[in-house]
Amino acid sequence: MKQVKNNIRRVCIFLCILFALLAAYGGYSITVNGNRWFSSGANTFVRSKKKDVIAGHILDRNGQVLAYNQQSQTAEGTKTTRLYHTDPLVRRAMVHVVGDSQGNVNNGVESFMASSLYGFQMSLVERFSCFFRGVQRTGDDVRLTLDSRLSAYASGLFPKGKAGALVVMNYKTGEMLAEISLPQYDPQNVTAQAKNDPQKPFYNRAVQGLYAPGSTFKIVTASSALENFTDAATRAWQCTGQLQVGDRFVTDAGTDMASGKIVSHGQLNLLRAFQVSCNNTFAQIALNLGDQKLKRTAENFGFNDNFLFRDVVVENSSYPRENRTEREIAWTGVGQSGLTATPLHMCMVASAVANDGVMMEPYTVMRTVSANGIMRTEAESRVYKTAMKPEAAQVLKGYMRTVVQSGTGTAAQIPGVQVCGKTGSAEVDTQENTNAWFVGFIDNDAHPYAISVVVEDAGGGGSVAAPIAKQVFQWMLNNGY
Amino acid sequence: MKEKNHKRRRSGPGRAMVSAVMLFFFLAFFLLFLQDFNWQSLALALIVPVIILFGSFGISRLFPADTLLLSLVNFLCALGVLVLYRLSPERGLTQALNYGVGVAAMIGCTLLIRYMPSFRFVNWAFMLGSVALLALPLLIGTERNGANSWITFGGRSFQPSEIVKIALLISMAHMLAKRKVILTMGFAAVCVLVLAVQNDFGTALLYFGTALVLGYAATGSVLLVGAGVGGAGAAVVLGNMIMPERFARAMSRVNVWLDPWQDVQGAGYQIVQGLIAMANGGLWGVGLGAGNATVIPEHYNDFIFAVIVNEFGMIFGLLVVLMYAFIMIRGIMIARNARTLFHALLATGCAAMIALQVFVIIGGNIKLIPLTGITLPFISYGGTSLVSSLCIIGIMQGVAARSEAGVNEDRELAMQGGGLK
Repeated sequence: MKQVKNNIRRVCIFLCILFALLAAYGGYSITVNGNRWFSSGANTFVRSKKKDVIAGHILDRNGQVLAYNQQSQTAEGTKTTRLYHTDPLVRRAMVHVVGDSQGNVNNGVESFMASSLYGFQMSLVERFSCFFRGVQRTGDDVRLTLDSRLSAYASGLFPKGKAGALVVMNYKTGEMLAEISLPQYDPQNVTAQAKNDPQKPFYNRAVQGLYAPGSTFKIVTASSALENFTDAATRAWQCTGQLQVGDRFVTDAGTDMASGKIVSHGQLNLLRAFQVSCNNTFAQIALNLGDQKLKRTAENFGFNDNFLFRDVVVENSSYPRENRTEREIAWTGVGQSGLTATPLHMCMVASAVANDGVMMEPYTVMRTVSANGIMRTEAESRVYKTAMKPEAAQVLKGYMRTVVQSGTGTAAQIPGVQVCGKTGSAEVDTQENTNAWFVGFIDNDAHPYAISVVVEDAGGGGSVAAPIAKQVFQWMLNNGY
Repeated sequence: MKEKNHKRRRSGPGRAMVSAVMLFFFLAFFLLFLQDFNWQSLALALIVPVIILFGSFGISRLFPADTLLLSLVNFLCALGVLVLYRLSPERGLTQALNYGVGVAAMIGCTLLIRYMPSFRFVNWAFMLGSVALLALPLLIGTERNGANSWITFGGRSFQPSEIVKIALLISMAHMLAKRKVILTMGFAAVCVLVLAVQNDFGTALLYFGTALVLGYAATGSVLLVGAGVGGAGAAVVLGNMIMPERFARAMSRVNVWLDPWQDVQGAGYQIVQGLIAMANGGLWGVGLGAGNATVIPEHYNDFIFAVIVNEFGMIFGLLVVLMYAFIMIRGIMIARNARTLFHALLATGCAAMIALQVFVIIGGNIKLIPLTGITLPFISYGGTSLVSSLCIIGIMQGVAARSEAGVNEDRELAMQGGGLK
């Protein structure tokens, strides 16, 4: 009997643990994910409450009004319509961040920040005060870190008719200055054409577009080499122009049209390989590292992580997990073969190099302010991850500098400014041309900006994406950034 | 002296608690009355506190009882009536009726355990009856939400597994007290198997867990628990081989659990809407009657916890979990004070049954474990469930009353000079 009573006590402890698990997991889960669930498109509650509250404004970092309400008198009474920035180019450029009143864009500020915009953050006192004064409640204003003029300017730089995305962020703080996706549409006049467009303008490519990062991933491969090979900087690699792995080849610079010969880079070191973006070398590095080591480095950079940033909802990037052949591993070192990443994530990868290996958490909401001017929340910078050691970041920064000075990314040069970068031309089976990539940053504490540009089906990163990055940086420097 | 004893019991924390609970529900129903001026709300504002009063003090008038435990149980039952009434007045009224019946059944169970000298002669009948009742839906059952475990009888449907719970607890405690471990586990395994065949995985899991906990309490053997888990694993593998189609369906539930957001409008709809409802509630809830949790399928049954968090908030939800924990702990205390092995195991089984049921369904709601459709004790809509949950509390009270009676007898014997033992 005594023994049984002891057993019963253990049973009690076990059951108590179950209850503790319930409480802890429930509390944790709602606290961490609550806002995501709340702002999900499937939430009908927010929609039903919208008619009771006047939504707050959405402003850009300079106070430009991106979304506001207009009240008009109709036969049925006062009608409130949601309007967007007066300049159609600006409102088109900002549409993927801001969203529209119909919720066509996933996780636009209009839906993701609904709890602020529609006054769910108001205290009981404020609610009662509005109730007794008989005024309709007004939600909070949301001020973004983004610059709408920069966004409009950058949108104009893309080649006509091409889809793509561009992200600019401050690599020291993580605040985002531009997040644009093309094609765009007018939130104030959503046409049937926009709805049926095969290029899917509602889709926010900057955070939802999962692209093969192509050669921009060589930043990660090089980082892994620096981490794992003691002689990484000096080891000599042999490029034959065609690396045989199993019964297939990893191609490189291609074939010379005139002579019909395969072009090769010959013998080179890591710096040179990075500068000319030599596929052979990086495939060999990946094979020498092995899948596990390369994967670990990629995961240090945020691949395979579940991104839970406070106000930017980003698709998770992936490094393939299982059943990998040698050929696939070789291609992974070059940024192909099942690897996927969003333009925002690749911007973070460049930011990590710029910021001594520390990756900041990206954010787009600077502050929320109540209708009568009380500050509700103000964003502060947070570190997301430490991707690599500061020394490795310094070396990589040097590599990225030579890419722009005398490598594949010379089109991004700006006289008198240290621009560092990496180009990429990622192959996509279904497209005629490669996706043009450029990720880079200004190496200057006074102008700590990183950029990531993707232009779909457009050609080489050095010729298409790098010039866009250059013009964006140039514009920013001219406009006081 | 007896009179004085009762007076002491009725004061103290239990009494204050009951008053608070009554006031809470009076105000809550009155609030609903102010929203729609329906006389039914007003009637419930008066009737529900009366049931609570009776359910808490009625029993302690009959024999010594734990008013604190009773007031918690009554709070949860009345909370169910309140939330259900707010969602659908018709269901609320039915639930109020079930609540009344349940309180009567609870008293019946207390009396049964208090005065039944032994279950020796009915044990076999209990066991055979249990298996027969559980198997009945296979012959004449109706399917609901994929589980074929309901019987429709005279226009009303009920789940035999809810009634069998009581018999199962008594039989298992009885046999384990007699050290018939193999027989007990065999009996439990048969019950679990029958339920699994009916696709009622939630109840199967509940029975399985309770049997293991009871087996452990009786024997203290980790080996037994390991064998149980291993046996279940083997059964799953075997099930996969015999009925791969059904197994695939069960696995699809696991996938929904891993990522319900993949199919927000389809398979994941229920869980996603439940999560959203809880997120909408936030810390303090949107307020009684202000939520729109009716968009969740089965909001009155499997997902009533999500509705509660939606309208009353996360802190209230945590308190509800805490109340269940307290009920469980109270049951364990009763078990540890019991005077025979049978009664100790019986009370342990009751406590474990309630606790595991809460864990399985709330865990499913908050996506801690895959969702299986079972009821939240005391709160979910459903007559059989509410009555059987109250019966379980009645059994706990019966064990407590019996121990108390035993102590008193000893004392009287001692006073007469008989001495202990």
